[in-house]
Amino acid sequence: MSKPQGSNVKERARTALQDEFLIDAVKFTTERLKNGKKAATAEHGNWEEWRERGRQIRAHTVAHLDYYLSRFIENARAQGVHVHFAPEGKDAARIAMDIAKHRGAKSVVKSKSMVSEEVHINEAFEQIGIESIESDLGEYIIQLANEPPSHIIIPAIHKNRRQIAELLSKEAGETLPPETQVLAGFARRKLRDKFLEADIGLTGCNFGIAETGTVVIFENEGNARMVSTVPKIQITLMGMERLIPTWDDLEVMATLLPRSATGQKMTMYMSGITGPKRTEDGDGPEEMHVIIVDNGRSLQLGDPDFQELLNCIRCGACLNACPVYRHIGGHSYPGTYSGPIGAVLTPALNKNAEEWHDIANASSLCGACYEACPVKIPLHDMLVYLRNRKVERGVTAPGEKMAMRGFKMLMGSHAWFERAVKAGQLGQKLLVRGGVIKSRIGPLGGWTAYRHIPALPKKSFREQWTKVTAEAETSFKPMTDEMKSRMEKIVQSRAKGGH
Amino acid sequence: MAKSDPEFLARLDRESREAEKRFIGNIANRLGRPAAGPAPVHPYRGAPDFWASYELGTEEKIGRFMDNWRAAGGYPERIASMSGVPEVIARIAKERQARSTIRQNLPELANLQLESVLPELSHHAWNGRDPEGSLNICEQADVGIVLADHAAAYTGTIVVASSADKGRSVSLLPNVLIAVIPAERMYTRLGEAMSRVASIPAERFPAGVHFISGPSRSSDIENDLTIGVHGPGAAYALIVG
Repeated sequence: MSKPQGSNVKERARTALQDEFLIDAVKFTTERLKNGKKAATAEHGNWEEWRERGRQIRAHTVAHLDYYLSRFIENARAQGVHVHFAPEGKDAARIAMDIAKHRGAKSVVKSKSMVSEEVHINEAFEQIGIESIESDLGEYIIQLANEPPSHIIIPAIHKNRRQIAELLSKEAGETLPPETQVLAGFARRKLRDKFLEADIGLTGCNFGIAETGTVVIFENEGNARMVSTVPKIQITLMGMERLIPTWDDLEVMATLLPRSATGQKMTMYMSGITGPKRTEDGDGPEEMHVIIVDNGRSLQLGDPDFQELLNCIRCGACLNACPVYRHIGGHSYPGTYSGPIGAVLTPALNKNAEEWHDIANASSLCGACYEACPVKIPLHDMLVYLRNRKVERGVTAPGEKMAMRGFKMLMGSHAWFERAVKAGQLGQKLLVRGGVIKSRIGPLGGWTAYRHIPALPKKSFREQWTKVTAEAETSFKPMTDEMKSRMEKIVQSRAKGGH
Repeated sequence: MAKSDPEFLARLDRESREAEKRFIGNIANRLGRPAAGPAPVHPYRGAPDFWASYELGTEEKIGRFMDNWRAAGGYPERIASMSGVPEVIARIAKERQARSTIRQNLPELANLQLESVLPELSHHAWNGRDPEGSLNICEQADVGIVLADHAAAYTGTIVVASSADKGRSVSLLPNVLIAVIPAERMYTRLGEAMSRVASIPAERFPAGVHFISGPSRSSDIENDLTIGVHGPGAAYALIVG
C-alpha cells in the first residue's frame, strides 16, 4: 500500500502540508465532526457522568479481560461460532486464508475493520488469488486508490470529489460526473453485485458482549449488515480487548460511540450478531468464525502507564480535536492508526520499537485528546511516558542528548548558569535585529523556521533580583493622583459589569 | 465454493482449544494472575443510576421518536389503529412507484391484506424454508415491510430480530423500508429495548438483532450526505396506536 513519501513524521508532514486540498478537507471535516460531537453531547446532557461510566466499564472489563474473554468465547461457541486465536497479525491472516482456501472461496466482501488493516488481510487474500473488496464507501474509495485510511471514521477524508470521480470512473469504464449521488449510486450497484456473489463476508467488531457471545457492529451505510447477511461464511476480526460484560453496558457504549464519532444520537444501524444463522433461518451466514487478535495488545496489560490504552472504543474524537492531526492529516502518522490514539497505540502495539517513536514528538501535549475522549484515556500523559521511555532507552538523537547534558550542567551550577547568560547576552548581539532573533543558523533553525526568538534582556532576572527584593522590602510607594484615578476607573467599570 | 467440511472445522476447533489456553493464560499472567480469574463483581453495570428513572409519557415518547426519525432522514407517521395501516402503505407504494413488496411472515402483516389493497403489485412473505428464493425476491422487491419488536424514543430506533419468519434481508435489500411499530412496544430508552433482548434465553436467542435508526447513509464523499448507499434509501416508521 502506498503511503506518502518520507521516512519520518517531519518529512511526511511536510508532504501533507503542501497539499492544500488535504489541509482544507481535513480541517473542514474534523471541524464538523467536532462541532457535531459538541452539539450531541450538550443535547444529551450529563456528559461527564456518561463519560465516567464509560471509563469505569472499559477499565473494569480490561482489568478482568481473562474472565470476560473466556465468557465471550464460551457463549459464542455455544451458539455455533468457531473461535480462533491470533497472537500476531500474521496469524489472523493465516487463519482467514486457511478457511477461504479450504472452501475454495473466490471472493470476499469486507466491512470496515481497523484490525483488518493491522493484519493486512486484503493483501493476504490477493496473494492467494482471492478478490477482497471493501464495501464501506470511504474504504472502497481508498482501496481503489491503493492507500490506507487516513481517519478512523472517515477513511477517505483526504480525497476530493474530483479525485473520487476519477477513481470510480476507471472502475465503471465510463466517465462519471463528480456528483455525490451519482458516485454513491455507482458504488451501490457495483457493490450490490459483489455482495450477492461473495463467498465470504469479513467484518470487524465494535464490541463483543460476554454474556451472550454477541458481536456488535455500528455503521451507517448498511454494508456491514450486507456482509453479515448474504455470504455463506462470515469471518469477524475482533481485537481481544473489544469486550463489554453485558447488554446493559452496550447502552453506555451506544450513548458514547456515535455521539463522539459523528455527533449522531445513534448510527443508522447497530447489529448484534450471535452465531451463524439458526437452522430454520433463511438468511445469515451458515458458518461463522471469530478471530480474536492480540497483535501487541497484551503487552499493555499490567503496564501502569499504558493499560488504559485498551479502553479505547475507536471513535476518532481525539483525531478531530487534535491540532496536530488537523494540520498534517492521517498519512503523516506511521501505521494503521493516526492522530493522538495512533501516536500512542502504534508504538505500543509494535513493542515500543524505536522506528515508531518519532510520532510521539508530533504533539503539543495540550490535552485536547483527553478532553475529547469518551472513556477518558490520558493520551497526553502517555505521549510523555513514551518520550520518557525513549530517553531511558538511549535512542535520543546525539544533538538532543548533548543539549540536554549541557542544560543539566548549566542548571546544576549557578556559576555556570550566570556565565552562560552573560555569554548569551554578548553573543546574541550578532543575531538580534529589532529585539528578536530570526537567524536560522545551526540549532536555532528548528525554532526560527516558524517563529522568532525574543532576545535576552540586558539585565537577567537573577541580576535584578537583589534590587527588586530590596525595593520591595524597604519602600512603600504612596499612591499618586494618576494611579488613584486609574484605579477609580477600574472600579467603576467593574461596577457596570466590565472587567 | 465447496460445501462446509465438518472434519476441517473440527480440526480448527481442536486447535482453537489448545490456542485458547495459551492465549487466555498469557492475558491472566500479564494481569498478575496464574490463570483466568473467577467472576468479578461488576459494580458499574449499565447506564449511570440517574438514567434509570428517565421516563417519558406515551405521547412524549411518540413525539420524540418521530422527531428523531425525521431528523435522521426518515418518514415517521402516526396511525390510530392497524386498520389504517394498509391505506398508508398503499399511498407510499404508489408514491414510490413500487411493483413488489416483501414482508416478514407474521400474522399481523398478513392481516393487512395488501394483496387486496394493492392488487396491481406482487406481494411476498419471507420464507425461511426457501432461502435462495426469498433472497432473490428481496433483492428484486421495492418495498420491505417489517413489524418492529421494540422501539426506543430517545434515539429514534427500532429493533428487528431475525427468525425463520423474519429474514434479515427484508429490512435491508429493498429500496424502501416500512416499519410498523405498535405504540405499546415503544420505550423511552435504548437500554429498555436492550434488556428485553438480553433476557431471551440462549436456546432461542436470535442470530441477528438489528437496531435501525433511519435510512442507510454515508458522508464519505467530501462529507456530503448521501442516502441509500447500501441499505434502504427511504425509511418509513408507522406508529400504530
